[in-house]
Amino acid sequence: MKNKYFILAILLLQSSLINTVFCQNSATNSGGQVVSVQPKIMVIPYTKEGEDLRTVLENDENKRIAIAKIKEGFDSRGFTTVDFVAKLKAAKDNNVFTSDNQTDIKSQIIQMSGADVYVQAEVIVEKGQSGNSVKLILTAYEASTGNSLSNKVGESGKFYTEDFNKLASKAVESCVEDFLNIMQIKFTDIVNNGKSVIIDISFDAGSQYKMSSEIGSDGLPLSDQIEMWMEKNAFKNNYHIQGTTDLKMIFDDVKIPLKDQATGNNYNPNKFALELFKFFKGLGLQPGKDVKGSTIYITIK
Amino acid sequence: MKKLNKISSLVIVTLLLITTGCSMKTLPTAEVNYLSGKDGTITMRAIGIGTNQEDAIIDAERNAFNVIFFRGLPESEQKIALIGTNETEEKEKNKDYFNKFYKDKRYKTFVMSSIPTSDLTKHKGGKKSIAIDVKINLVALRKDLEQNNIIRKFGF
Repeated sequence: MKNKYFILAILLLQSSLINTVFCQNSATNSGGQVVSVQPKIMVIPYTKEGEDLRTVLENDENKRIAIAKIKEGFDSRGFTTVDFVAKLKAAKDNNVFTSDNQTDIKSQIIQMSGADVYVQAEVIVEKGQSGNSVKLILTAYEASTGNSLSNKVGESGKFYTEDFNKLASKAVESCVEDFLNIMQIKFTDIVNNGKSVIIDISFDAGSQYKMSSEIGSDGLPLSDQIEMWMEKNAFKNNYHIQGTTDLKMIFDDVKIPLKDQATGNNYNPNKFALELFKFFKGLGLQPGKDVKGSTIYITIK
Repeated sequence: MKKLNKISSLVIVTLLLITTGCSMKTLPTAEVNYLSGKDGTITMRAIGIGTNQEDAIIDAERNAFNVIFFRGLPESEQKIALIGTNETEEKEKNKDYFNKFYKDKRYKTFVMSSIPTSDLTKHKGGKKSIAIDVKINLVALRKDLEQNNIIRKFGF
């Protein structure tokens, strides 16, 4: 009898502990309201090979004006962008740059900012006898996959003026709304058909397994087990295999939903990585997982 | 007597064919063309049809909004449809909004100017048409559609 009370007390204690750990804090409880996590967008200047990204903006006011005008376009749609100059300054302060290679610096800033989408603006100044003009090439990419989201070329038109700031402004105005409209179409497609993640599955140096290892209760090769799982779990059965070798399997585009289809909460690559982790555990493997932006790395020990 | 009946029915049929043929032709199409656009506004030239000038102007304004909503206007900053290309489905989905928008003339709040550029032209069948230059506050219109959940806000 005494034993019974003791077990009951333990169970009560355990349930109260679980409640304390997993229950939502009353200070942050929104009553089940879910707001979609918005993509982080950063507008950066285009740099040629060897150009210093750190000084390119400081030296060229036309680029600064173009970037400010593009950001203005996003603001007018009620969307806040990540400020490139502030990130650049923070990166400098934190000594993020470890290499002299400018391309690396660009990648490092994009990575450090956590931007999901970056918009690259190339400003071309053209001087001629029939007037001066500014051309603008705008391109938006998904940072993780490199998928192109929108491309537009803007032109100021030719004017007999030396006011290139105004021409840069005109070039942005000529295309920014169209550019944003196309981006929004792509965003709608992501909302409906899921966002892309990259999945890289490899083996630890000391692992006894290979992609051809027959595994699980049905004894199928590991690569086929993985593909069968992906077939069931990729959003709307949408996935693409870049390649499979005995030591590696790369999915260069797997769609995951933006919202958990069961709970309606926000869904992210980390949650998908956890499902993948559980799948490998279920096969009796010892996986390690790493998530960097929208790329999931699975290493089988 | 029989012959007279035959002739009269032939005359009636011929008359009917002539009147039907007349009433079906010559009405102009509801054309909407881009004129200019700056800082979140768009100016279009639209043709409207009605029984009088007021009706024709209302029809022209509605045509302008319909093109922006469901077709998009080439050469403008709104090249693609603001809402979608399937207008029947979209109007059915958001019946209340469109009822208020058109029937209660809420659309007028987004019209910045509406200036007739032609005289009222009479057509066969009693219909009249007019061309107007209509300027629309596109930024406010987009915001209104977003707030009423007709279109999604920028982003996810």
